[in-house]
Amino acid sequence: MAHYAMLIDAARCTGCAACRVACQLQWQLPPEVFFNRLEFREHGQYPDVRQEIVPVQCMHCDNPPCATVCPTKATYKRADGLVLIDHDKCIGCKYCVVACPYDVRQVNDRGIPEKCRFCAGFIEKGEQPPCASTCMNDVRVFGDLDDPNSAISKKMKTVQVYQLAAEKGTKPRVFYVKRGG
Amino acid sequence: MLISRRTFLKAGALAGAACAVPAAFDFASFVRGAAEAPVTRIPSTCNGCSTNCALWALVKNGRLWKLEGVPRAMKNEGKLCARAYGVAADVYNPDRVTRPMKRTGDNQFSPISWEQAFKEIADKLTKIIDKDTASTVAWLTHGGKETYAQMLLDEIGSANYITHYSTCFTSKTNAWDKMAGAQLTSDIDRARYMLFCGRNYAGGIMPGAMRKIMRAKDRGAKIVVVDPRLCELAKVADEWLPIRPGTDLAFFLGIAHTLVSEKLYDEKFVREYVFGFEEFWNANRHFTAEKAAELCDIPAAKIREIARELAKNAPAAFLEPGYHGLHNHYASSTRIAQANVIVNALLGNFYKHGGLMPAASPKFGKLTLPKRLQPEKGPRADGAGVGNEYPTVETGRGIAQHMPDLIAAGKVKALFVYHFNPLRTAPDPEYQKRMVKADLVVSIPVSWNETSVYAAHYILPEHYYLERMDAPKSTGGNIAYDYPQAVMRFPALKPLHDTRHLLDILKGIAQEMKIDDLYPFTVEEEAAAMLRPLGATLETMRESGCLEMPEAVKPGFPMKDGKPALGTTTGKVEFTVGAFKLHGRMGVPVWTPPLVSPKGDNEFRLIHGKQPWHSHSVTSNSPYLMAVTKSYNGSRMWMNRGRADKLGIRDGDEATVEARIEYKGETRTVSKRVAVKVTEMLHPECVWVPSGYGNFSPRQTVGYQQGVNYNDFAPARVEPLSGGCMVQEVIVTVRKGG
Ligand code: SF4
Ligand code: SF4
Ligand code: SF4
Repeated sequence: MAHYAMLIDAARCTGCAACRVACQLQWQLPPEVFFNRLEFREHGQYPDVRQEIVPVQCMHCDNPPCATVCPTKATYKRADGLVLIDHDKCIGCKYCVVACPYDVRQVNDRGIPEKCRFCAGFIEKGEQPPCASTCMNDVRVFGDLDDPNSAISKKMKTVQVYQLAAEKGTKPRVFYVKRGG
Repeated sequence: MLISRRTFLKAGALAGAACAVPAAFDFASFVRGAAEAPVTRIPSTCNGCSTNCALWALVKNGRLWKLEGVPRAMKNEGKLCARAYGVAADVYNPDRVTRPMKRTGDNQFSPISWEQAFKEIADKLTKIIDKDTASTVAWLTHGGKETYAQMLLDEIGSANYITHYSTCFTSKTNAWDKMAGAQLTSDIDRARYMLFCGRNYAGGIMPGAMRKIMRAKDRGAKIVVVDPRLCELAKVADEWLPIRPGTDLAFFLGIAHTLVSEKLYDEKFVREYVFGFEEFWNANRHFTAEKAAELCDIPAAKIREIARELAKNAPAAFLEPGYHGLHNHYASSTRIAQANVIVNALLGNFYKHGGLMPAASPKFGKLTLPKRLQPEKGPRADGAGVGNEYPTVETGRGIAQHMPDLIAAGKVKALFVYHFNPLRTAPDPEYQKRMVKADLVVSIPVSWNETSVYAAHYILPEHYYLERMDAPKSTGGNIAYDYPQAVMRFPALKPLHDTRHLLDILKGIAQEMKIDDLYPFTVEEEAAAMLRPLGATLETMRESGCLEMPEAVKPGFPMKDGKPALGTTTGKVEFTVGAFKLHGRMGVPVWTPPLVSPKGDNEFRLIHGKQPWHSHSVTSNSPYLMAVTKSYNGSRMWMNRGRADKLGIRDGDEATVEARIEYKGETRTVSKRVAVKVTEMLHPECVWVPSGYGNFSPRQTVGYQQGVNYNDFAPARVEPLSGGCMVQEVIVTVRKGG
């Protein structure tokens, strides 16, 4: 069984939003619904200033609060690590939207929550998610952590990683490269 | 409904995202119906900017589904930026022009048949040529695909093929051609030290260049970015040096002075391959790093340090040759370009790996067409290359921004505007609107852009790029790559509307003008003829998406009979340009102050640049890309925090921006309101606006009146040496509120 995850090196991100729009086309989303966003932040004072850009999307948590609060089990965690939403079971109560500490759920025009799907259906065929494959700066590596030869497994061995809001105990499957200093 | 956003990094809330029905795709039914449908992959080249990234269009049930980059293509290495996706999705944008149109009043148009439009245009054109000569006919274009229109101009006898380059980068091409006989490109892959000034590959994106830069960074090359703004490239550079806007020439001269005075330059290279070194040095021997520092706001010690580091890593070190930012927008732009050539030559990096290399380009074939009897051409209407007007401006590019003057003077009577929107992308739109006064104005666009709405008498819509085949293109240039490559557009979709290919539009007009057989070929035939000497066919091109030739470009200064053989008079790199010496000017660059400078608490120099998800006007009506703008408040004008504090302006506040436009005895005040982004990432003396906003065509519903555009505040001036438009020589006053 695969164990899908993503490793994001935010220091390489130049904020182009290609990941967002590539994903929108893959999933035929309307312009206002998007599965990944960027967080921009400045540090310091002119002229000693630095910019940080952090891509954020569904963390496919191993301990997903969105699934725990879902009264109909519409949100569920698959054995390969994907957290998905069964639209037929969803009653549109939006508990999951509130429960998600990463604020990555959006509600579509039919009142159903949407979010990053880790490209279910495509990755099983060996395809890369377009948010990863379109990135000119190689910010994202997606793959199978159980396969020691996958690009993500190899890269995870060479870097230190951290997770967003790790203290919430959600155990995200999206890891970030830790930079010194 | 609105979703309020929390952020992890701090509580600076991002914009809420409204969920709406899709503007372009009926995605639900599409996904359901197409789940099992086969996917076809058709190669094309992106039309989101001028890079020509090679892509595969994936089509399901006759609808565009998604795009993938072609991995082999050197300009994008399999990657595409946001603009690519947004512009492709715009094939379904309801704001496209769906059939030929004829003006019936102010912003009023009625449909007209293609046949009738061709007939009326041909009649008017023939009358104008008979009465006023063909020299009053002009073709105004972005550039590229010039062949078809050039053939019509040759046939009637007009020299007026005018490109948008004078609003973009002509100072650079002009200086490099005259000084080095060619445009060299930076060899990022093999460089150890890279100095980028006013060039932001991560904003005006070229994905292949960014990949090379990031790989270079990974292997330890040093990257220095000089820019008044902490641009996207500066974000990933080793150093960002905020320069006082408009003073790059001082910085370059300071570097050159350090290299020469400290004897760090490549003396052997200069001795053998440079002409005019003494003239340059005599004119600049007093322009020390200290002198430069006073002007450009970068400490002298830093200027010397950069010069020394460049020299230490030379020849695998370069000052990137640059593009739009510095190369049209200052009074000193031509001198900036000259100084750029000089700094690189002092490093001896010409035709060296890791330094500057020539572009690789395939040797395309040509259709053999019957020779035609052509009339002698009259003078150019725009004055480019004309003795007493703009003798040193490149005639291959011309001057685009003063067209209304040419029309008012009766020099242009008939105007075609193709794949270009000067009403939005050239200075002073109110002035540009006067184009409508020509006897005949034909716009050939895909969308209801400003030029079509306010200036055109006829609008002849072209097929969208995904709907048409275009002849193969070389992708060499701007960044070094050893092997010639060709990319090409194949039609991925059936035309959605009653549009035509440019070639068929020109055929239609020529036929009605009774010019027989001017275009006796199809695009397929032309493409096949071009590919033949490369051993390729349309089929191989369609299968590969990108063709690469094995003949590599090799380093080594061009020599002939043991002598330097650049395309210049001396065969050497010429530090002095004889043609520039007219009217008592210098042939070498010397410090040229900006035309205007801000004073007082409320004055700023207005500068601009690209945001990574917009080009100029072509992307500004894309629902996907404007949604990105909304998410990130992308249309705000940047202002340094210290300056904003003095004016009482806080992040997100509305401000009024004003400029006085003085042009040929006319004075007007322009006043616009815009939201301000207060930031530490900008030099205090300027405000910065992203270049893709301020649309004023009411028929472009998505981009209409979002943000402001730098062109709103600039007069349509002409820099005399290269024809540039100097739009960063503008001082605006800013005050809080309305
Ligand atoms: S595509 Fe890459 S560089 Fe661009 S915003 Fe996304 S993660 Fe950042
Ligand atoms: S990130 Fe949010 S939506 Fe995704 S699995 Fe975790 S809690 Fe659920
Ligand atoms: S993994 Fe797939 S669904 Fe998730 S953001 Fe990337 S492209 Fe979109």
